[in-house]
Amino acid sequence: MSVYITSTGRFLPGPAISVEDVEKVLGAVHGKPSSLRVQIQKANKIQTRHYAIDENQQTTHSNTEMAAKAAEQCLDRAFVGREKVGMLAVASTQGDLPAPGMASMVQAELDLPEIEILTTHGICSSSIMALKAAWNSMRLEEHDAALVLSSELASRLLKKQRYEAATTSTFAAKRIDFSTEFLRWMLSDGAGALLLQNKPAPKGLSLRIDWIRGFSHAHALPTCMSVGSAGRPEDTRTWQDYDTYAEAEQDGALLLRQDVRLLDNLMRMGVDGYLRLVEEGVSKPSDVDHFLCHYSSHHFRNKILEMLNTAGVGIPEEKWWTNLYTRGNTGCASLFIMLDEFLRTEELTVSEGDRVLCFVPESGRFNTTYLHFTVVSQ
Amino acid sequence: MNNGEISIEGGSNTHAEESVPKAIVLNEHAQVCLQHLLRVWLGFERDLSKVPLLRRIDLGTYTAEDHQVFLRNIRQQVIEGSRWITRTASSFDRDHAEIRSTIISHAVDEHRDYEMLEKDYVASGGELNDILSMERNIGSEALHGFLMHQSSQPNPIDLLGAMWIIEGLGEKMATSWSERIQELTGLGEDSTRFMAYHGHNDSEHMERFYATLDSVCVSDVAVKRIVKTAKVVARLYRLQLEEMEHDLK
Repeated sequence: MSVYITSTGRFLPGPAISVEDVEKVLGAVHGKPSSLRVQIQKANKIQTRHYAIDENQQTTHSNTEMAAKAAEQCLDRAFVGREKVGMLAVASTQGDLPAPGMASMVQAELDLPEIEILTTHGICSSSIMALKAAWNSMRLEEHDAALVLSSELASRLLKKQRYEAATTSTFAAKRIDFSTEFLRWMLSDGAGALLLQNKPAPKGLSLRIDWIRGFSHAHALPTCMSVGSAGRPEDTRTWQDYDTYAEAEQDGALLLRQDVRLLDNLMRMGVDGYLRLVEEGVSKPSDVDHFLCHYSSHHFRNKILEMLNTAGVGIPEEKWWTNLYTRGNTGCASLFIMLDEFLRTEELTVSEGDRVLCFVPESGRFNTTYLHFTVVSQ
Repeated sequence: MNNGEISIEGGSNTHAEESVPKAIVLNEHAQVCLQHLLRVWLGFERDLSKVPLLRRIDLGTYTAEDHQVFLRNIRQQVIEGSRWITRTASSFDRDHAEIRSTIISHAVDEHRDYEMLEKDYVASGGELNDILSMERNIGSEALHGFLMHQSSQPNPIDLLGAMWIIEGLGEKMATSWSERIQELTGLGEDSTRFMAYHGHNDSEHMERFYATLDSVCVSDVAVKRIVKTAKVVARLYRLQLEEMEHDLK
């Protein structure tokens, strides 16, 4: 049975924050401006982003509220009553509560009665896991409609107080601790929503889900992006192994880390999965009309991309589209926020029959996911 | 390593852009072959992270002793490398004169690389006699045996697959390992000259590789042979690296 994305929604909290104002919101650690901010921002090229905290680092919207707001917009735009929604799948790197699952909290916020719920846990690819599970439930004909949400509130991990409290951490010990600061200038907040139905919307464009695939390489590669350890190779403790949470925080075990040295593997594994899909005949590069990538093309401008062109399977740059530069890198919410704008933007023409390839890599422990849609109208 | 971290999007990318070879249009078989070779390489490269000695580079726990073990174990393969390459050249008949010339010049470039490696070993704190008396490890035996056998076959075009893996690793040593090893071990540049040297003229090597691939990979059979040999070499090369842990010194 074919399943369609018939409506989308998004929520981006607060005003768009410019490159210069980012540190005003997250706060300067110990009142000292970061020496790495400009360098990292220049590299990621993100111009504006949104935060669900204010300039005093107080939370303005909970993660649950953001997910619910994106859902409301999506449902308001849908040609189907919310009582038809039989499943709610919610993805986030970190919900407001460690337990229960975030879907329970969002269900309550949306007041959706007696619905099947699913919470997926991970980082950027958790939304793809949620989408795939909901799609599969629809394919089993268990529901007529399913709502898939992805929401991230990374700024709570990135505010100055987190770093100031980490008094015995690698961040406090080193003059520059790239791995703990890197994501501070990368990630921001937001939520996206997709409504799945067993038929296209009666008006406008829908996306038929053709396939969703994922390849994880955690069996071979070390952890690259994480929260929960102090980031010292010889120390195997995780945050719950400390006597108190206060000690874990002091030691930097609650800071978000990215081992940037390992990051190249993500692009390589991304290319490997792509070539695998080409080899299996699942993906035909020449048929792709739009390529939506969670990473911006400038990350890929290197030898491997050149080799893909030489091997006859490159995707021309004019087919790449992203809104990361204006909406920020919102982790697992990025692709949904991207799809929402993709179907509305005037920057490009999206027509019936167009084939859309999406790529969402997760650096956490190297999970690469791929999605393929066809644009349809009833 | 000055801000090695940011170079993932700044410095090293610029380096990569500079070394991108000139655009070349491969025939369809060569294109498919390159697609497969890329996957063999990416799988090989990923699985290097599972080799205990090399995982320590990723995790930041690689020591000067580890580096000595690495150099001691890789020397035999470097010595044998020039032997199978020259034998490969002699196994091509006159219809393959062009590829024969390419291989001969390549062999000339590299046939005394092991001397550089011996100096690196001494600079890393090793005793010259230890590396000179080191025999082939178990994986090196298998790799060498396979390569000598393949290179003795008439017109062994499949060895392009071997070159793809071995040259690729040489470049990886230069771009990803040499500086990182210095940083982790406190050893100087003179201990990683062999590794660093392989980053030179990379774009020229790639152009030569593409040209050769385009000229010899003109059938499905050729694609299969080249890719299979690349897979065997990747597997045996990893065996050689895994066996370093069981240093025979």
